[in-house]
Order: sequence, then C-alpha cells, then structure tokens
Amino acid sequence: MSMRRSMSGSAVSNSLIGRLYEVNWLLFALVYVIGAVGVAMILAATDGVWNQGALQHLVRLLLAGGLMLTIALIDIRVWYYSAYPVYAVALLLLGAVDIFGVTVNGSQRWLDLPFIRLQPSEIMKVAIVLALARYYHDLPRRKVSTPIGLLGALVIIGVPMQFILRQPDLGTTILLVATGFALVFLAGVRWRVIGGAAIAAMVMIPLFFKYGLKDYQRSRIQTLLSPESDPTGASYHIIQSKIALGSGGLSGKGYMQGTQRQGEYVPENTTDFIFTVIGEEFGLIGCVATILAYSALMALCLFLSTQTKHVFSRLLILGITTTFALYVFINMAMVMGLIPVVGVPLPLISYGGTVILAVMTGFGLILSAHLYRGSELPRGGD
Amino acid sequence: MSDDRIDPSLITRRTAFLGVAGALGMSALTARLYYLQVVKAEDYTVLSDRNRFNFKTLIPERGRILDRNGVSLAVNRQDFQVMIVPEQVDDVDGTLDAISDIVPITDKVRARVKREAKRRARFIPVLVDSHLDWDAFAALNLRTPDLPGVALDVGQGRLYPHKGLFTHTLGYVGTAGPDDIAVDKDPLLRQPSFRIGKTGVEAASDKTLRGKAGRLKVEVNARGRVVREWPDPKEKPVSGDDVWLTLDADLQRHAADLFEEDSGGIAVIDVMTGELRTLLSMPTFDGNLFVSGLTAADMAAMNASEKRPQFNKVIGGGYPPASTFKMVVMLAGLKEGLIDPKEKIFCTGRVRLGNRNFHCWKRRGHGPMDLRDSLKQSCDVYYYEIANRLGIDPIHDMARRLGFGERFDIGISGQTSGIVPNDAWKQARLGDGWRTGDSYNAAIGQGFVLTTPLQMAVMTARLANGRRAVNPTLIIGQDLDGFDALDIDPTHLQLVRDAMWSVCEEPGGTAYRADSLGFGGIDMAGKTGTGQVRSISRAERESGVRSNERIAWELRDHSVFVGYAPFEAPRFAVATLVEHGGSGAGRAADISRQLLSMALSRDGVKPLSPEARL
Repeated sequence: MSMRRSMSGSAVSNSLIGRLYEVNWLLFALVYVIGAVGVAMILAATDGVWNQGALQHLVRLLLAGGLMLTIALIDIRVWYYSAYPVYAVALLLLGAVDIFGVTVNGSQRWLDLPFIRLQPSEIMKVAIVLALARYYHDLPRRKVSTPIGLLGALVIIGVPMQFILRQPDLGTTILLVATGFALVFLAGVRWRVIGGAAIAAMVMIPLFFKYGLKDYQRSRIQTLLSPESDPTGASYHIIQSKIALGSGGLSGKGYMQGTQRQGEYVPENTTDFIFTVIGEEFGLIGCVATILAYSALMALCLFLSTQTKHVFSRLLILGITTTFALYVFINMAMVMGLIPVVGVPLPLISYGGTVILAVMTGFGLILSAHLYRGSELPRGGD
Repeated sequence: MSDDRIDPSLITRRTAFLGVAGALGMSALTARLYYLQVVKAEDYTVLSDRNRFNFKTLIPERGRILDRNGVSLAVNRQDFQVMIVPEQVDDVDGTLDAISDIVPITDKVRARVKREAKRRARFIPVLVDSHLDWDAFAALNLRTPDLPGVALDVGQGRLYPHKGLFTHTLGYVGTAGPDDIAVDKDPLLRQPSFRIGKTGVEAASDKTLRGKAGRLKVEVNARGRVVREWPDPKEKPVSGDDVWLTLDADLQRHAADLFEEDSGGIAVIDVMTGELRTLLSMPTFDGNLFVSGLTAADMAAMNASEKRPQFNKVIGGGYPPASTFKMVVMLAGLKEGLIDPKEKIFCTGRVRLGNRNFHCWKRRGHGPMDLRDSLKQSCDVYYYEIANRLGIDPIHDMARRLGFGERFDIGISGQTSGIVPNDAWKQARLGDGWRTGDSYNAAIGQGFVLTTPLQMAVMTARLANGRRAVNPTLIIGQDLDGFDALDIDPTHLQLVRDAMWSVCEEPGGTAYRADSLGFGGIDMAGKTGTGQVRSISRAERESGVRSNERIAWELRDHSVFVGYAPFEAPRFAVATLVEHGGSGAGRAADISRQLLSMALSRDGVKPLSPEARL
C-alpha cells in the first residue's frame, strides 16, 4: 500500500550475513544498555562482589542474547505456525505445575526439571501473545466484535489465567490479562464492546477482590491504602523502598554509596526492588535516565510494529511490548508506593534467569517480525 | 486483497493509544519520582539517617568508695562473663550442656537463656553466667574453638573487698528496676549491664559515683546489627567520682571482731567533727552476694535468722537506752534547778507510786545516793525521784537537745528517729495521757523511750564536746561547720562528766576496770545500761529473777554502753548495743573500751589542749 512498505520490502536476504545486517541493531543495543544497568546495579546491591549475581546476570544476558539473535533470524512463518503449539505446551506446563510444581515462598510456580527450575508462567507470557496474534491474524475482520470472535480471545486469555491465579501469582495474572485485552483492543474491537467490558469490569473487580484473592494478596492491596499502619509487616517494604528512593535526592549518593542498600533495609534489592538501588545511588537523574532508556526501547518497538504489514507480526510486537511495558510500569509504580506490592521484576535489570530468557525471547520475536516484515504469511480467515 | 482481514491502519491508530498510554504512565512515574526525590528528599534523608545511625551507650566506670585513709571499700573488678550468640549456635541445649561441664547451669538459667535467645535478635549475645572465677573463664576460653557461638567477655562488676564489713553502710548495686527507670531518665539505666546503687552509700551517692555515659556512633543495618563503629566515641564516658567515707576500715574490722557472734550495733564518732569512724551493725552479710544475684536459699537463711543480718541496727534499730539515759535526766534536773548535786536520796530498792512498786536494779537498795554516786552505781530510785520532781517535759527537751529522736543527715537511708516520749506523743500514739509512772520508766531509759546506737553516740559526743551540738557525718565533704551551740551550762556538764568518769575509773563504778584503756594515764568516761526486753513479773521477782543465761536468747536484756576518751581531752565517743547481751557492764562496755583504745592508738593518742574542748 504505502511506498515505505514496498521499499523496505518483501525481499529478505537469503544469506545469513545479509540477514544479520538487516537485524535492527538499535533494539539490540538498547536491550544491552538496559541489561548493563542491571549488571551494574546487581553488583552494587551485592556490595561489589561479582559472583553474587552480577556475573551470572551478565552471562545470562550474553547467552540469552544469542538466543534472541537466533530467534530473530528464524523466519516469522515458523513462529506463526508454532504459535498454537507453543501455547498448548505452555498450558500443559502450567497444568503440570499445578500437579508437580515446587512450592517456593508459599507459591507453587516452578517445575523442577533435570537441569533447570522452570517457571511456566513466564513461557505463557510469550505464548499468549503468539496465540492471540495468530488468532486475530486468522480471524476475519467482521468477526472481531462478534460474540464468537470475542469468545475465542477470552478462552485464550482465560484458561492460563485460571492456572496462574491458582499458583497464586497475582502479578503475572494481571500482566497476562492486561496484555491479552490490549491485543483485543488493538485488533479493533468496537468501542461499544470495550465500553461494555469496562462496565462489566467495574462490577467484577470488587467481587473479585472479595472472593478471588488470598488473604495476603488482599492485605498487600490494603497496605497501599494505609502504608504506615503496619511498619514492620506488610508495609515495611514500601516504607524502606520510599526512604531509599527519596534519600537519593536529585543526583544520588553515588555508586556503591547507598546506605540503605548497605544496611539491607530494602529487602530483595537484587530482584524486585532493584530500582531502589538506582534511586538511592543515582537519584532522580539515574531514575529518569532508566525510564528514558526503557521508553526509547518501547517507542522503537511501537515504531517497528508499524513497519510490518502482517496482523500477526504487528500484534506480536505490540503484545510483547505491552507485556514489557507493563512489567516496567508495575515494578516501578510498586517500588514508588503507587500500587500494591506485587512480585514483578524490572525486566533486564532485576536478577533472575527465567525472566531474562522470556524477555529476550520476546525481543527475538520482535526482531524476527521486523526482519521478515515483507515475507508472505498465510492468509487466515474464511 | 485484504477486505476480510483486520486493517493494519486500524491497528496503527490504536497503537497510538498505546503509545499515549505508555507516555502517560512513564510521565506519572517521573512525577512521582520528582515528588519523592526532590520535594520530599529532605524528609527521606532524615529517615534514611535515622535508619542508619544509632548510638551505642558506653558505660562509665563507677566511682570507688574509700575509707578515710583511702582503703577501698567498693571497687570495680573485671567480671568474667560467658554468653552465647544464638545465630552462631546450632543446638542451644547441647552448647549449654558443654558449658555446664565447666560452669554449672541451673534449669532456671537454661530456661531464661532459651527464652531470651528466642525473643531477641539472633546476633545479640545472651548472658549465660557472670562472675566466673578465673579458672572457669580460662577453661571456657580453651574450649571456645570447639563451641561455636560461645562468647566470653570481660565486663565491669562491683566488688566489696571487705565482704560484709561495710554492707549496711555501703549498700549494694543492682540492675535498675522499672521503678528506678520511671524516676530517673538517665539512658544508662536501660543498659542491661549497668548497675545502680540500690541501698546505702551506693544509692545515696549514686549520682556522684555513676559518672556520665559515653556515646559511640554506630552504623546499624535493618536488623539492628552493628555494621560499623566510628573509631572515636562521640562522647567519651566520664567515670564516676570516688566517694570517701569518714570510716576507718581497720577500726571497723576490729569492731566486728569484738562482736564475735553477737548481734547489735556500734558507732564511734569524732567528738569534735562528728565524723563517724565506725558504723557497724552486726551480724552482717556479704554485699557481693547481692551484686551477683542472691540465691533463694541464701535469702531464706538470712530472713530466718533471729539476729536479722539484713537489718541495719546501728541506725535503724530502736532500743531502750536504759541507764545511759540517766545523763539526760541529770542534766534536765540540774537545768531546772531541782537537783542539788550534794543532796542525798535514799534508795531502799524500790519506790511506791500509787499501788505500784518501781524497783531499783539492786534489790536491797543503794542507801543514800548523791548525784555522782547515783550515776556511778546506776541507782534507779534516785532517778525515779528526779523524774517525780521534773515531770516528762524537761527530760524530753534535754533528750532532744542531746540528739535523741532525731534523724541525722548522714547520706544514707534506713534511720529511725526512735521515740522521745511526752504527753503529746502518748496522746497521739496511744490515746492516753501521760502518767507519773511513765516518767519513772523514762527516767531510767525504759518504757516508751527508744533510741538508736547512733543517737547514743551523738549524745555522748555532745556531752564530751560540751560546746557544740555535733552532728554525725559519714561522707567526707559534708559540711562540718554550722553545728548549733549545745547551750548547756558547762558546770552541769562538768558534774555529768565527772560522774561518767567515776563509772569507768573509780572502784565501785559499774564499768570500773583498772587502767580502763590500757594507756596508763589516759582515762575514759562512760555509762552502762541494761535494756529490759521483758517486764519482770511480781511472782518472778519474789521467786528470784532468773539470770540471763537461763532464759531464751531473745528474752535476755540488751547490753548498752556509751563512753568517750580521753577524759581530759575527748577525741572519740562510742556507743555500743549488744542485743540480748546481758548487763551493760559486760559485753557492751568491754567492746567499747577495746574499740576506743584502738581508735585512740590509731589517732596517736594526742590529747587536745584544754582550751580546745571547753
């Protein structure tokens, strides 16, 4: 249709070198800039001891980078065809967690496989985007807002949600549902339907809060409403986290100079609360720079989505970007005390293997969708 | 080609919504960060520092308590302690078992240790035992490599080198209780290893002895563990000041030796300055036991003893002064002009008042007695007659002037005022008016009159001094000036002193012994007393009063003696009360005489010039 699309074109180099050249290296670079922040901050959080996380994080970033590149070079059609199988496998693993899962910290989220401890909900984050992207790619336009069309999407979103809610993992559930509905919205569901859903949600959410949550989940949400009520209990995290951020001031206390961090006042400061280390040691400047790096990455992704002609590719990029953006937003808002404490890491910066794997896989798919933006995908529908 | 497909341009439009939502979200985060890190930065910096810094209280060294010659009465010593650090101990019971091979651990201690280990932060050591002897400490030291989590420490402990000799005066130290903390806001009191004075000089001079806490700035982490100490204390602890007592440790020791197994109290006082050289209550107990924690068995034994070791008899015990009170009556009579020293009163052994007989201690009577003989031989009838003439009021006034009924400011608590009775007192106390018979009893220091050995010593010092109403002092540095004038006619005093001299120095005196002090030409003056504990029934009197040796200890008479020396130039006065010690001529006079003798020899027995005393 447009000039640009025909120019950037259907022609993908046949040679590996050529394809490597066409990979969007800006995205690659932004991922590693943020990843490097992660390595530096984990190093600070562990008092400069490399092998307490920083080194592992670096190694994982490099290994996952290889995976990302590999995924990027694989034809988008492969991903299109494997969308439903991947989703099915992810569902099976989630079911397996329900039956064989390992309980850590009161939540049953992990599968102990011979070599790795797998968290299937992370796989599902990517799988659900693949599945929905393919679903809408295949779905005739006229059916998008029909009950049947909506039901298909609801099933894709609802089934894994049920499993993950059982683990229980409120953060991931919210992430999945939000991403899912973002894709439904992007697919062009009529505003009427969206309005109806919004009203339904307003009715459902209080009911869900009352009957659908565990006590500790409720208490976390209530803690946000009155954070000073229980300073050593549920709200301890938030109070200490705000102290660490606030005491960083405009320019921070300097790298490795964070006193709250040294005093171990903020728990989990290599994982979910790593942003407090940035805030304490680099202040507002460091925090805003981090936010800008994420924003640049996400803006790039949004731009890349407009460069492809396929519904599947677009929704794939947007879905993964949405998930990623939600991660960032929820984590930061949580650390700043804007929303309840939910266990969501700061992607690429927080320590944690599965998350890196999932996030880099996602970016690999984005890169693939972009690289093969001109390829022909099977026409769905009818 | 794509009629039936979702329109990519629709996705693009809706992607714009996503972009706007994302931009809004990131802006909200930035705004929030601006609020936290710029608007509220100072507040959070303060909170951050409060998180981070703490002050460790450094306990100052407690001042010593010394006798007048610098002999240590209360000092600090290294206190060897064994503790366990719960977080380093795998098996608390097993570790305690291992410790108990060297230092026995009672079930109670075991329970306490386990309780504290559970309740407190796991890196804070829990005290298992203190006051270990060196051998045990050394043995534990050898074993610590095999016993992870066992920590040994050397703290400060209070030591009373003379054990029980000064306990009633010094008191002892202990941990501050809730009551102490409520009154005294000094943060030191909240330190578990800090000890405050609980009784005696330790309590009375606690502010002087305590010193000032130092503060060490420390950095703590979220769990309160100290992660860094600043090398120099922000404020160094200031050691407490020493307190010097007027007491003489050697004299006190001698007094205790003289008491042997007897119970009672003794005070030796400087006639000119009022400084107490000896202040002893017997029997006593070891104050060190209270510092290290008294066992229930020790406490029970102490409470069960009829000799009441924990009771400070020398300032807190009210006893009948018995015949030592006769000097008071004599002076009152002379002052009122109702006695002529030459007048003889005939003692038949008893006086009848109404339908009651008042007996003299000498059943067959003394015959004609003048003033001097009445004191020398301690004739009771003579004083019944004086009391008859005087009534109680002049006696009461003279007694007060000589220090009876008074609590002196010697810095320590536990004094009783005793009783100097009169009509008003009896009305208030018993709701009954004063009778002549009450005066008779009072005249010989019996009945309602109660005094402490300290008061008797003060009376004697005032008689000996003659010019000034000396007050006793115990802590050096107290104001020695400002004694009131005694305001008693010197000629009257001379008569009393002469009579007191005859008691000790003339054959026939109740405390006569040739060369009383063993110094050759140096004489003493004094007065004996026998304090009745029970009233003697008429039947018993007729069948013959049983001797003290044949009745139960607690029914025997108290033996009292007061005296001073040298007679010509008084230096020291003494008052001794031996509970149930029989007649005053016996135990109390003996002890007093020997102690005065030692006091004088330690003082160089240098008689003062005659002008100095009157």
